[in-house]
Amino acid sequence: MDIGLLSFIIFLPLIVSFILLVLPVGMKITRNIAFVTTIIVFLLSLSIFFKFQLTDYMQFREFHPWISSYGIYYSLGVDGFSMIILMLITTLIPLGYLFLWKTKKSKGYWASMLLIQTGVTGALLSLDLVLFYFFWESMLLPVFMIIGIYGTGNRIFSTLKITIYTIMGSLFMLVSILYLGVAFYNEFGVWSFQLSDLVQITTLSNFERTLLFFGFMIAFAIKIPLFPFHTWLMQTYSNSPTGGVFILSAIMAKLGIYGIVRFVLPLFPHQYVEFAPYFVGLGVFGLIYFGIAALMQQNIKRMFAYSSASHLAFITAGIFSLNAYGMTGAAFLIVAHAMATGGLFLLTGTIEYDLGIRSISGLGGIAKKAPFLTVAFALMLLCIVGLPGTNGFVSELLIIFGLFEYNHYVGVISALTVLVAASFMFWLFQRAILVKTDNDVSKMKDLDIKEIVGIFGLAAVIIAMGLYPHWFLYKIEPTIQHYLVDILKVGIGS
Amino acid sequence: MRYSEIVYLLPLLTIALGAVVLMVLSTIKKLDIKKLSWITLAFLLIAFGLNALNFGYIYSVLPFSHTLSSMIVTDTFAGYFSSIIIAGGIVTVLVGSHYFDKSNMLRGEVFSLLLFSLFGMMLLVETDELFTSFIALEIASISLYVLIGFQKNSEQRVEGSFRYLILGSVSSIMLLLGTALLYGATKSTNIVQIAKYISAHSSMDMTLVITGGTLILITFLFKVAAFPFQNWSMDVYEAAPLPITAFMASTFKVAIFGFILRFVLIDFQELKNIWSDILFYIAILTMLYGSFMAVFQKSLTRMLASSSIVHTGYLLIAFVSINSIGESAATSIIFYLIAYFLSSMGAFGMLSYIASDDQLRVTYEDFRGFAHIRPYMAAMMSIFMLSLAGIPSTIGFIGKFYIFIGAIEAGYTTLALVGILATFVSVYYYFKLIALMYFYPSSEMTNVPSLKGIPPLIIAVMALLIVWGGIGNTLISYFPGIDFLIDTAKFAYQSLF
Repeated sequence: MDIGLLSFIIFLPLIVSFILLVLPVGMKITRNIAFVTTIIVFLLSLSIFFKFQLTDYMQFREFHPWISSYGIYYSLGVDGFSMIILMLITTLIPLGYLFLWKTKKSKGYWASMLLIQTGVTGALLSLDLVLFYFFWESMLLPVFMIIGIYGTGNRIFSTLKITIYTIMGSLFMLVSILYLGVAFYNEFGVWSFQLSDLVQITTLSNFERTLLFFGFMIAFAIKIPLFPFHTWLMQTYSNSPTGGVFILSAIMAKLGIYGIVRFVLPLFPHQYVEFAPYFVGLGVFGLIYFGIAALMQQNIKRMFAYSSASHLAFITAGIFSLNAYGMTGAAFLIVAHAMATGGLFLLTGTIEYDLGIRSISGLGGIAKKAPFLTVAFALMLLCIVGLPGTNGFVSELLIIFGLFEYNHYVGVISALTVLVAASFMFWLFQRAILVKTDNDVSKMKDLDIKEIVGIFGLAAVIIAMGLYPHWFLYKIEPTIQHYLVDILKVGIGS
Repeated sequence: MRYSEIVYLLPLLTIALGAVVLMVLSTIKKLDIKKLSWITLAFLLIAFGLNALNFGYIYSVLPFSHTLSSMIVTDTFAGYFSSIIIAGGIVTVLVGSHYFDKSNMLRGEVFSLLLFSLFGMMLLVETDELFTSFIALEIASISLYVLIGFQKNSEQRVEGSFRYLILGSVSSIMLLLGTALLYGATKSTNIVQIAKYISAHSSMDMTLVITGGTLILITFLFKVAAFPFQNWSMDVYEAAPLPITAFMASTFKVAIFGFILRFVLIDFQELKNIWSDILFYIAILTMLYGSFMAVFQKSLTRMLASSSIVHTGYLLIAFVSINSIGESAATSIIFYLIAYFLSSMGAFGMLSYIASDDQLRVTYEDFRGFAHIRPYMAAMMSIFMLSLAGIPSTIGFIGKFYIFIGAIEAGYTTLALVGILATFVSVYYYFKLIALMYFYPSSEMTNVPSLKGIPPLIIAVMALLIVWGGIGNTLISYFPGIDFLIDTAKFAYQSLF
């Protein structure tokens, strides 16, 4: 049996992880091999990026029977939208590793990180809904382990909370998937869970479709998290180890958005358009609500957790804005935000590593001790607030355009909120990093060479994407057009 | 009379012969538990091999139908169930031998009784005659009553044994009464004859047949611990020696389901609508009650016992769906039984292995920090828990997938939703154990047996099978995977007709 490039990308980390777990090797060797593995995966995905053709259909297809009696296939493929997220994941993870390098965790930590990578790339590339569910659930286990074993504070409670929360969401999705499969069988007489097959179902009533739509949306809304489903977020983020927060915020949350675009949009185009106003509303509300919540936090990690949720709500508003600006901007902001937030959580992790967990008022004067860290921190913050020249600017501008086109008031509100968000980010930067206070920060060390390579590598991509957005945009444009014109039938906007 | 038909009876006869031989051997003082367990194993392996001879194709034979007056039917269905039952016996002996060896009170008769019980279970899935099924059920049950109360110095064991004896006997009487009523109505106790009568007289009054069938269903619901007949199971499971608990929870359940599937599928093709309404509510209540009980347990044995009630509930979902989608629902039951057999046998087996040294009651708290002392054992235990919870990449997920999709296909979306709810609750009590094992620093668990000898090996094989069954055959296409299991389950179903 031939194994394609995508399978290799998915399963290489898994295989390496198992070998490392079984062999009696120490933490350091495990870490180094894990890092090399992620670099190999990065190079493989780079080759996909260059071989990728500018069309709207799935490429690099792999298709093998898995559970034939129910027509379940091991079916993989990549299009413009998933390709850009694949690049994001495979770039971010090795860069993140450079930052996590000095954590004194056991080898299970690194093995779990590899397992997470298999889970997220698998979910990203599967085109069969059962296969997708399979990966979607599987990536929960290593996260469970990472937070539970290596977390701090009330980690066990928060682990059980996030696990139960996400499993609840996924079980709703599972019922919806099964229901779709049965509907397809009743209509066509054969079993299939292929996305391309399930979109052809015509027999479902509008009411059924609406229920199924929400079945899927709950699963994704919990992962993102959208407004009423965010209660797991704060505890989990503050009790996770740095690697866990990094993965959760920079990668897993993005997969929630991805899931909406990949599955909900083509399966329920009518409901997607029908409920778009509510989700745009929810998104803008989340932008403001989480923004205010972020303002009140006394701890950097908690503050970034809320500001991250606020941006994710903004992205959600973008994908429901039903025009090319909003959707392209959302796709772009997924990348920009993942990089910036991931970078910020990693930097915060470094500060925490040196100084212990502290509130914002307990910090200050770090700039003197750690100039590189200060510069990197500033760059990431600028990207988050959308300074021209970073990819944050391009994407936020596009989403705001999209929202303006959707509705002028919504556009004005979101533009203003983004501005306000910028101000509190700078305020934080001033209090925590720049201003010299009486607090003892003598233990603070500057970034070491690996971290500098990691964070400035990230910064280079951020700036490159900000200055030359079309390098990246043209790859996803055909896909976005396909979604808007062929599936949603709303046109690409003016 | 064709003497070649003896081939089909050989597995059953081997087990019976083994039971008698071991009864004699157990009187010899020189043979210790270890040696006896090897002899038992030899008989079981031979029976398994003989049973496997007929594997892979569809057949249905009434061996010596004249002499045995068609009491015994050997078909793919019976062969399939027999192989699970014998495998259950093998695992029980292998995993339990450590336990039996350590607990000095248990003597060689254990193995004889175990084989008698296996004989009863095999007969139960191979018979299509109701009196024979009563006798088979009693052979299996009485051996179990003795096995549970074997350590007569333990008050708890004797009490559990008596409780099971009394309640079990009452439920068996229901089977006898049901048989009598069916005989009164149809002038036969043979399942095929009864089915013929029912389809020939479909316009007539069927009150007696329905009453008789209901009584038999009650026996079945009692034995699989479905609501409202579930309360015995937790006490009995806790009272029994752990390997015997494992044996009861997995193997006996498989046998009972095998019997009732044959009974319902053949006999009541025409009448099964009558029970589907009541079974619908029984399934829901069984799942809810089991989940409710499992959440509050502190002892792992009791948790597994109550979660086994929940699993009975899942199986009943498919049982209800048989109504409209016969083949796929029956197949999903058979597949789920395999999945459940592997997971629960593994979990109970691991518990019995761990508890064998100090004979302590194994609670959640006992596992605090377990992963730091015994990482491999903790990993295997986690696999069993994940499979029981139905998390993807284990066979438990595929089993649940089949049952839920069957329920939706049959139009019982409510049942699927309740099943999902129960699954959701189960995540709590299964993951609690994983969390305890991994998230706490190691406690002073001194006398945990290390990974040595055969029992851990068998448990590891089951863990691997669970993962393999969940991932399937995409990776190595010529190695039997999920598709193979499903196909054999389908063959088993088709051989009934």
